[in-house]
Amino acid sequence: MKILVVEDEKGLAESIVSHLSKEKFLCEVVYTLEDAVEKINLYSFDCAIIDLNLPDGEGFSVVEALRKISTATGIIIISARNALDDKIKGLEIGSDDYLTKPFHLSELMARVKSLLRRRNFGGNDEIIFNEIKINFKSRQVFVNDQETLLAKKEYDLLLYFISNINVALTKAAIAEHLWGDNADNFDSFDMVYSHIKNLRRKLLEKGSQDYLISIYGIGYKFGNK
Amino acid sequence: MKLLAKTNRYYIFFSVITYLIIAGTFYLVVQYVIYRDIEKRLQVERKDFETYVAKTGSWDTSCYFIEDKIDLTQVRDTLKKLPLFEDTELPNRYTGEPVRYREIKFYTTLHNAFYLVRIRKSLIESDELLTFITATMLVFLSAALLLLFWFQKSISQTIWKPFYQTLAAVKTFDLKKDETLALNRSEIFEFRELNEVFLKMSDKMRRDYRNLKEFTENASHEIQTPLALINARVEELIQEEDLSKKQVYWIQEIHKSSIRLSKLNQALLLLSKIENEQFHETKIINLGNMVKSKIAEYDDIIEHRHLKIIIKEKQEYYISMNPDLADILISNLVGNAIKHNQPAGLIKISVYQNRLEILNTGKLLSTEPGELFNRFKKDKSSAGSLGLGLAIVREISAYYKLGITYQNKGKLHRFTLSQSNKKIPDETKILLSA
Repeated sequence: MKILVVEDEKGLAESIVSHLSKEKFLCEVVYTLEDAVEKINLYSFDCAIIDLNLPDGEGFSVVEALRKISTATGIIIISARNALDDKIKGLEIGSDDYLTKPFHLSELMARVKSLLRRRNFGGNDEIIFNEIKINFKSRQVFVNDQETLLAKKEYDLLLYFISNINVALTKAAIAEHLWGDNADNFDSFDMVYSHIKNLRRKLLEKGSQDYLISIYGIGYKFGNK
Repeated sequence: MKLLAKTNRYYIFFSVITYLIIAGTFYLVVQYVIYRDIEKRLQVERKDFETYVAKTGSWDTSCYFIEDKIDLTQVRDTLKKLPLFEDTELPNRYTGEPVRYREIKFYTTLHNAFYLVRIRKSLIESDELLTFITATMLVFLSAALLLLFWFQKSISQTIWKPFYQTLAAVKTFDLKKDETLALNRSEIFEFRELNEVFLKMSDKMRRDYRNLKEFTENASHEIQTPLALINARVEELIQEEDLSKKQVYWIQEIHKSSIRLSKLNQALLLLSKIENEQFHETKIINLGNMVKSKIAEYDDIIEHRHLKIIIKEKQEYYISMNPDLADILISNLVGNAIKHNQPAGLIKISVYQNRLEILNTGKLLSTEPGELFNRFKKDKSSAGSLGLGLAIVREISAYYKLGITYQNKGKLHRFTLSQSNKKIPDETKILLSA
């Protein structure tokens, strides 16, 4: 899988690349609009992560240029602008998703994977992690081929974990993934805890291994112990 | 007091004084002239009398019988000083009405006897003359003054017109609209200068305001990127396997603060955008439906905290506003009612035709109710909150000229959103007793 990262803030670009590389994504980084346009003309990408504020112009033109060349590439806009206008404009000119800065790398990862799944239409509808199988079309979860019924948030949570295998996730990131901007309004960490508890119980009931690891002071990790 | 009223008042004050002085002086002058004339004639008659007496050595009263013009009285003492002229009053011979006279007095000797001679002249005609002259003069003077008054009034109005135009233009000047002050060019140098000063000032204000606005926006946007970087680095850092408890604690603090800073920044940016009126698109929104969908969104937390929600939609409340802002407004109000509620508490939302009431149970308020909508005013117990939610609510309400009020009774809190100028009935008591 090849991913193009267009982000002028070098540190942030570096972080994105190092995070995505863990999942064997092949990342190309450019810092300017000009380089981005050159790259998309030379190579084809499965996904592009594009910042809107570039030193030599607006990221929108990269999105437009990319859409002209390829309809198969998934596009995620990352921007400091939180205005609905920008989001709508981004979607109108052909981007698939819009992420407002600052974001969690794990959230970006989940979005990229979800986008690639959606884009990869003809292919598989299933994600398999050891004995856990998720059909993301029908939103069904199977453990050892036995269906386990998950509540909506539990399903979202599982998908988020599966998208970030072996990655330490902060409670804040999880809460924001589940409730968006509403997360900071409440004692959402308690709710994260109770959802995780339920998810874990439901998976264990069907004979799954215990993949959920709680990390002291930070949050949770899903993966092999 | 208005400028023109003030000048009119001064004008009237001074013209009345002038009027009185002129009238008085005129009266005195005319009177003086008339008296002088009469006295001259009296002197002539005295001479006539003395010549007659010197020639004939006697005096015959019959010579002058009309109006007691010459009156002789025998006296003993001629040394007593006499005023030469004097006013006196005698009854009219036929009607008995008192008539004013001017008389000249002197002593004379006739047949070796001393006499006091009084020659008189009636003042009837002179008084009439005086009255008529004075009256005519006063009428003309009044007319002239009225004319002048009207004249100066209309002149003032014309002269001050550019000033009032400038005033009106400055009054309607709106910093946020980014339009130049529309000022007419005046012929009067001072007003032209005034207009120039206003233009310069308003341009500077607009420029400063625009700069400030741009700065706020740019700064807010620029801050998000380094914050994103901090968050990303923190996320990378926590992937490390062997972090000590202390390190975890520090990372946690950094993470929390950077998230908080970013939220704060976004909230402030939103506030400044509302203030700058950057939300133009409006739609007709059913607030009742919006409340219901918000409650559905908060489903999780409501269940988690075992809150009881009652929604009473007595009428439909339609409002024309920006969908984004409506969402934020309702979100903040409902969120507020949930956040500050107690476990297993109650939220009652009533929707009327142009009023939305959100009542919730919760802790006693630790801040002043009046300060609740101020920025960074928050309940001491909710350290995690930004303290901007209600400030945003107020800003949005103000933007759409909606009234937002807060009332509380102990642990019951009620926010009422309504079209302005409508009195809100106090139903807290009814609710409490129910």
